Amino acid sequence: MSAVAAQYKSLQKLGIEVISVSVDSHFVHKMWNDGELSKMVEGGVPFHMASDQAGNVGRAYGCWDETQGIEMRGRFIIDPDGVIQAMEVLTPPVGRKVAETVRQVQAFQHVRDTGGKEAMPAGWEPGKPTLKPGPDLVGNVWKVWNPSME
Amino acid sequence: MTARVGQKAPDFNAPAYYRGSFTNVKLSDFAGKWVLLCFYPGDFTFV
Repeated sequence: MSAVAAQYKSLQKLGIEVISVSVDSHFVHKMWNDGELSKMVEGGVPFHMASDQAGNVGRAYGCWDETQGIEMRGRFIIDPDGVIQAMEVLTPPVGRKVAETVRQVQAFQHVRDTGGKEAMPAGWEPGKPTLKPGPDLVGNVWKVWNPSME
Repeated sequence: MTARVGQKAPDFNAPAYYRGSFTNVKLSDFAGKWVLLCFYPGDFTFV
């Protein structure tokens, strides 16, 4: 979670708020923040660290592992209408890539800003060309985009 | 209700630690904002 905390400023620039969730109590969250995370990220964790001791939140999001009583590493991008636009769930030993989350947020925000008139090809990042779906694009994507542009 | 892309995110209200205080965090309080919701196995784990 320190990786997310370290990129909090760039997430805030995109107007995205962060909530982390684990089965630990809020008391333990405080101990982890004060004793370890604040040594990795200046000022400590700047967002809500939620406690889900009964696993109810994790269950609703498909992240709850009932055999171990923990949450899998789930990441959800929720838009201003409260709709989930992206999700990724990893088993515990592999961490996330926060930069990829930032990229996806930027892409979904661009889609929203254009009212869905533009679509974002594989690997899109700000400044790269987008696709304008419509009858003229059918069978012609190769003219405006190819995998080397990813 | 299980979370799916393109569907409403399940609301929740949970105790939380936030900037030195104990509080509650409710997802629907963030309506109108983008939210990044991150689950992880546990505090003091290594990844």
